Amino acid sequence: MVLPVVACLAMAVILVWQISRSDVTVGEIERSDQRIALATQIEKLTVDEETGLRGYQITSDPRFLQPYRDAEAPLLQTIQELQSIASPEQKNTIAKFDEEHRTWHDSFAEPLIETLAAGGNASDDDLNLGGRARMETMRSLLETIVESDNRRRQTRVDEWNRQNVHMFTILIVLALAIGLIIGLFTRNRLEAVSTAFRQSLDLQRSRAEELFESEQNLRTTLASIGDGVVTCDVDGRVQMMNPVAQELTGWLESQARGRPLEEVFNIVNEDTRQPLENPVAKVLRLDRIVGIANHTVLIRRDGSEIAIDDSGSPIRNEAGQLIGIVMVFRDITMERRTRAALLANEKLAVAGRLAATIAHEIHNPLDSVANLLYLLQHDPNQDEARHFLDIAQSELARVTQISRAMLSLYRESKAPVPVALKDMLDELLLLMEGRFNSLGVQVSSNLPPSITVEGYPAELRQVFTNLITNAAEAAAEGGTVTVRVFPQISGVSPTGLRREPGAIVEITDNGPGIPDNIRERLFQPFFTTKGERGTGLGLWVSQGIIRKHAGSIHLDSRTEGPGRGTTASVFLASKPIMDPGGD
Amino acid sequence: MMENKTHLVLCVDDEVVGLHVRKLLLEHAGYQVLTAADGHHGLEIFTAQPVDAVVLDYAMPGMHGGEVARLMRQAKPQVPILLLSAYVGLPDEVSSLVDVYMTKGEGAPALLNKLGNLLSLPNASHQTVAEKKR
Repeated sequence: MVLPVVACLAMAVILVWQISRSDVTVGEIERSDQRIALATQIEKLTVDEETGLRGYQITSDPRFLQPYRDAEAPLLQTIQELQSIASPEQKNTIAKFDEEHRTWHDSFAEPLIETLAAGGNASDDDLNLGGRARMETMRSLLETIVESDNRRRQTRVDEWNRQNVHMFTILIVLALAIGLIIGLFTRNRLEAVSTAFRQSLDLQRSRAEELFESEQNLRTTLASIGDGVVTCDVDGRVQMMNPVAQELTGWLESQARGRPLEEVFNIVNEDTRQPLENPVAKVLRLDRIVGIANHTVLIRRDGSEIAIDDSGSPIRNEAGQLIGIVMVFRDITMERRTRAALLANEKLAVAGRLAATIAHEIHNPLDSVANLLYLLQHDPNQDEARHFLDIAQSELARVTQISRAMLSLYRESKAPVPVALKDMLDELLLLMEGRFNSLGVQVSSNLPPSITVEGYPAELRQVFTNLITNAAEAAAEGGTVTVRVFPQISGVSPTGLRREPGAIVEITDNGPGIPDNIRERLFQPFFTTKGERGTGLGLWVSQGIIRKHAGSIHLDSRTEGPGRGTTASVFLASKPIMDPGGD
Repeated sequence: MMENKTHLVLCVDDEVVGLHVRKLLLEHAGYQVLTAADGHHGLEIFTAQPVDAVVLDYAMPGMHGGEVARLMRQAKPQVPILLLSAYVGLPDEVSSLVDVYMTKGEGAPALLNKLGNLLSLPNASHQTVAEKKR
């Protein structure tokens, strides 16, 4: 940008210089013209003087002398003027002229006039010839001046012309130069712009390639993901499905694209068969990642069903605006089956352990009854027989009681029912009595009547059987187990948590306690401290059941000191809102 | 059945009713019967009295039948032990300790028969019993 400006400035400077030089020349010419004019004026005045004088000389009439007199003063003034603007070499000539004129005036003209005025004769030839000669000299001097100025003027005019040509040439050259510079400069700029443009094009192309590549990568990744992925726009219309999603839903991407999600991704609750809230609507409503409810079943295009687990997440653009929703889901049919198998296995294990206990409990009274029957067959006396029958009766009543307790243990109920905790725990303790005896564990209980919670009795029995068995096994021979129940009144806990009304069942043993390093693994499946004897599922299942009952279970344990042992606390709400997913 | 009347049998069981009925049964069969409600008492009586045979329950608080049988074997290896249990399928190391193992509920004739056999048909391990009888 600077270059053209500098060139223009240079041109202006050169022009100004040229113009000032030309001005000087023109001034010189003007001065020459002035001098020529003055010299011509002087010549005219000189001629006036001479003519006046001659007329007077011929006529002696003073009126003819008038032009002479009129020219005298202007002549002197004009000579002075000329002298003031004369060039140095002219000064001498003018001075000589002035002197000649004065000599002519003082020594020829004036004496002649005086002579004539006095009536004398003025026809002396010598005198007149002398005057004429002086006048000729003066004329030639003036001519010299005019000639020299004419020459000078011509020179100046030539010079001026030359200067003009010069200036014109310089102007053209400069104009060309500036044009060239601007052209070059512009070309340079244009090249820079075009390079930048080309570079940005290249960049864009490589970006586009990268973008394409990364999109390809993402596509491959998406296609390779083991979970089904479906994206849809904010209106809930399907945009994209990966192969797993296509397989799970039974819809091809090409067929599903643009259709409402609920048509392609048709989900219902497994138990109620009610359609579930469209995940898109849920994400739009909550504006965050949402999981779908448990026990969700996807109805495939061909009508078959699979159990799924899924989540929906908002898709946002760079400005953070919601532009769509992505659903990720997977087939959990196998997982569900495995889980069910594990739960069944644990139930069987519990049942097996209980069966052994129960057999023991039933065999004891049956043994007595069999023995009593034998005695009765062998002719006892009246009193003996009565005594035997009484014993047999009470022993049989015991068997009935135990078998009743056993029946209720695995009677599944479809809906939660009120459970009297005292009755349930008393029954369990009775069933497990033999087990405690064989372990050598003292069991005490503090079970106030009339504390009831709502729940599934069979499942709660499973939990308490588990916890009491654990406690008894931990307490071991000579140890004690305490089972307590107390109500929890609604309110706010000291730690600020809201407390629901319900009951807490505490099962405490004075065993060795649970070391810190395994405490957090206790609720994991297949974790057991009992070696071959345990399935490692007891606490995991128990926790699942308690969660389903919207309750909580936690273990408090000390491995040393006077409070050594473990307390398992189970909170159960009086009116729980069942969470079927807790199971 | 003649020589039975001279035999002293120790019954150990934590089931009070069952123990009482068993005592009545054995007394009816002509045995002299001593009873103990747990393993410790059983061992005390076993060492103090000239017991001819033991009818031992397995599941008991404090000390189970297997443990009691082991200690009895150490004290008097010649005395036959009949282990009675409500459980089916006791560990081998327990059942191998005793002379006869039977489950509760097999009935009174079975018990009397097996106990009678133990006392009348001594085998090698019960030489002293046999000698004593001779």
